[in-house]
Amino acid sequence: MRALDPTVLVWLALAAVLIFLVVNPLLRLVLTSFQAADTHAFTVANYIEAYSRPRYIEALRNSLMLGAAVSALTLLFAVPMAWAISRTDMPGKHLIRLGAFGAFVTPPYLGAIGWILLAGPNAGWLNRAWMGLTGAEHGLFDIYSFPGLTFIIAIYSFPYVFIFTSAALEVVSSEMEDAASILGAGVLRTTWKVTLPMVMPAILGGVIVTFLEAIALFGSPALIALPARFNVVTTQLWQFFSYPVKVEVAAAYAMPLLGITVALFWLQSRITRRKGYVALTGKGGARRPIRLGAWRWAMLGYCLLIVSMSVLLPYLALSQAAFARAWGQGVSLANFSLDNFHFILFEHRTAQQSVINSFVYAAWAACLAIGLALAIAYIVTRELLPFAKLLGFVAMAPFVIPGIVLAIGFYAAYAPPPLALYDTAAILVLAFTTRFLPIAYANAAAAMRSFNPEMEEAVRILGGTRLTAIRRVVAPLLKRSLVGAWLLVFIPATRELSAAIFLYGPNTRTMSVMLFDLSEEGNFEHLAALGLLLLVGTVAIVALGYRVIGRDFMVRGGS
Amino acid sequence: MRRTTFGLLAIALLGMTATPARAGLDALAAAASKEGEVTWYVSQTDSATADAAAHAFTGLYPAIKVNVVRTTTGIAYQRLTQDLRENSPHCDVFSTTDLGQYATLKQHGALAAYAPENARGLSPEFQNFDPDGTYYPTYAGMVVIAYNTKKLTADQAPKSWRALADPMWKGKLSLGHPAFSGYVGNWVVELKKLYGWDYFERLARNDPLVSRSIIDTVTVLNSGERVVAVSPSPSALESIDKGNPLAVIYPEEGAILMIAPSAVLASAPHPNAGRLFLEFLLGPAYAEVTVKSRGESLRPDVPALPGFTSFRQVKTVHLPVKDVLDGIPTVTEQWRDTFGG
Repeated sequence: MRALDPTVLVWLALAAVLIFLVVNPLLRLVLTSFQAADTHAFTVANYIEAYSRPRYIEALRNSLMLGAAVSALTLLFAVPMAWAISRTDMPGKHLIRLGAFGAFVTPPYLGAIGWILLAGPNAGWLNRAWMGLTGAEHGLFDIYSFPGLTFIIAIYSFPYVFIFTSAALEVVSSEMEDAASILGAGVLRTTWKVTLPMVMPAILGGVIVTFLEAIALFGSPALIALPARFNVVTTQLWQFFSYPVKVEVAAAYAMPLLGITVALFWLQSRITRRKGYVALTGKGGARRPIRLGAWRWAMLGYCLLIVSMSVLLPYLALSQAAFARAWGQGVSLANFSLDNFHFILFEHRTAQQSVINSFVYAAWAACLAIGLALAIAYIVTRELLPFAKLLGFVAMAPFVIPGIVLAIGFYAAYAPPPLALYDTAAILVLAFTTRFLPIAYANAAAAMRSFNPEMEEAVRILGGTRLTAIRRVVAPLLKRSLVGAWLLVFIPATRELSAAIFLYGPNTRTMSVMLFDLSEEGNFEHLAALGLLLLVGTVAIVALGYRVIGRDFMVRGGS
Repeated sequence: MRRTTFGLLAIALLGMTATPARAGLDALAAAASKEGEVTWYVSQTDSATADAAAHAFTGLYPAIKVNVVRTTTGIAYQRLTQDLRENSPHCDVFSTTDLGQYATLKQHGALAAYAPENARGLSPEFQNFDPDGTYYPTYAGMVVIAYNTKKLTADQAPKSWRALADPMWKGKLSLGHPAFSGYVGNWVVELKKLYGWDYFERLARNDPLVSRSIIDTVTVLNSGERVVAVSPSPSALESIDKGNPLAVIYPEEGAILMIAPSAVLASAPHPNAGRLFLEFLLGPAYAEVTVKSRGESLRPDVPALPGFTSFRQVKTVHLPVKDVLDGIPTVTEQWRDTFGG
């Protein structure tokens, strides 16, 4: 009576949930792209409209160029930093790690605001300093440009490549490097020809993730690209959602984005599957830091430069604006004011509500994602059923769907009746859960694989049920990884913008949407205050996480 | 005895005739208080003014909470039409700056026909704004040229819309975007009528900084990022009040006069609170808030603050509804093609 086996029921329940969260929105997206707006008849008109104006094609081209440029710049930032920390005797590693973590925690659009304050072509602080020092008429940096946008995205994307690369470099033993140096190669040559190629899959994996993130980002492009007067795919999709809403055309327009991400993800899995990069052998393999001599200060300087560009300078600019009456008037006692915080916390009701919304929805999404991921991971790793692997595959599928495309799919599938989830917290929580399910699942699967099933089997042999085994053995062992995985979903969920911007309603605004709205009036003082609150809240929660599970969860838990 | 009776009767009669409107509003206020809240989609003022208005309203009617949803005109309309499309009404009172939106909404029967008591107190220019009585003017301002006085003297500043297209202003201009801002939409339609689309091609070559809201142009000037802007007079004048180095020019061709309406939605979840709020928007308490934010005073009994230039004192241009209705969507597409975003 296999059908009554509770495991099959659980499998069916999980499959139903995954279909609801992942398969149906995607299907509805594809279907909607072929539907006429009013009659729902089959048509290819949406595709024709989506690719008719040169402006729309130009946006796609811009996105691809942006992805490539960001990937290149990110490599430049992340790889030397990862190498310096993992394999050399550079001082101040803890500080740099903290800086990379700060870059990870910062929402990119908040960093973009900070950089608008720093590098607005005439009023930005850096430019004012330049004009003051050299007497020039114009500033040196213009953040409202394609290079400006590339820079902004890269300084907040480099943590991904950094984590992937440093995780891989940490386990490479020094034998190969020793062999190279015995044969007469210098440090640079060894690194370039021996060390880095060994971690090429990790680097490429990170680069592909960066590319996918860059083309799917909404916040920074919306803030920078509009004044810079060019369009990218995400801002163009947003335009299709302005009046009159053209969901069908948006769906058609989103297809290439989906196609590109699927192709790249396939490419990445092909690359990382190759087994020729074994660095972890069973024999010995000490890891000795390379001595850089005086060069270690140069490396530290480089790393500090990156950290200050991504964290120190923007935070300084944001703090100045948050405590100022009018940010353009500089730092002075006359310009100092706590009014912005007072306004945000006590007077602007929408802002208060958005803060609560963000943290509540993110917490719910994290709980749901982890719960779902654990159940699926348990079934998959314990191989309880055939077709269990299919569940795992579907759980990872949202990774290839850009957040904005997922949001459109959710909107098409669940906003109208019968479910009518428009302007409910539910649609946001579900979209976040789906969006971050892959991270939760990857962590849960890794955690499940990390310990031997023997212990559960011991429980079963001694007469306990599977449930007892899970409750008494698995759960306590997983506690630490769970908290880490929970935080890895919670943090990005609090600042998620590209899905929220399509799914929010008047009552379910999140902080990210609120920040974006505040930027529309140019009200940087209030914006900075709210942004700082978001950062402080996130850091507080992460600090709590640190205390629970120890230092390493951010640096190593990513993959 | 008879004199006393006559006296009492006279007083009673006076009492009854003096406050018939109050009696009507009291009934409405009672019904509205039972509903307990009102949702206001507003784009015609900035956030601070909208919050001040909400504060004033709750001061008068403590039992009613005001949900202020302040966005740009384009976003507000997108939200509203999305709500209506999904059959999920939220908005009770809709206050934007694009008359074309109201014409379309009226056409689809989305607006409630209501004759507010307080509409009688409006100045003559603002009476009979909509012959069908579905929307009423609640805010008025002008689109003008503003400039940073630290970087330009009064002589150097441009005096006409035409002058803005001059290459000498390359890299110095700040504009809004017609897809988001009703003020900018009206301005673009009017200038296209005056000078043709070529004017905007030349303007694009001047590399302006394009923001979403027209209000942002004032903050761009305040920070010194740009020198000259096409700004709304209320925001610019308010900024000057705060001590920022700005000045306003009423262009030779005419400042664009914006009369922004408000309407109660037919599908309003809180219909009585919505009507009461509309009454409030047409009444003296809101007029005080408006005037302090340097908008025009729509009521003769609420005077403007000193040092205010009213639209009656300068040359203005006011677009008819039809021009706005057809014009703004067209110019928005043209703008996107020309300005690239």
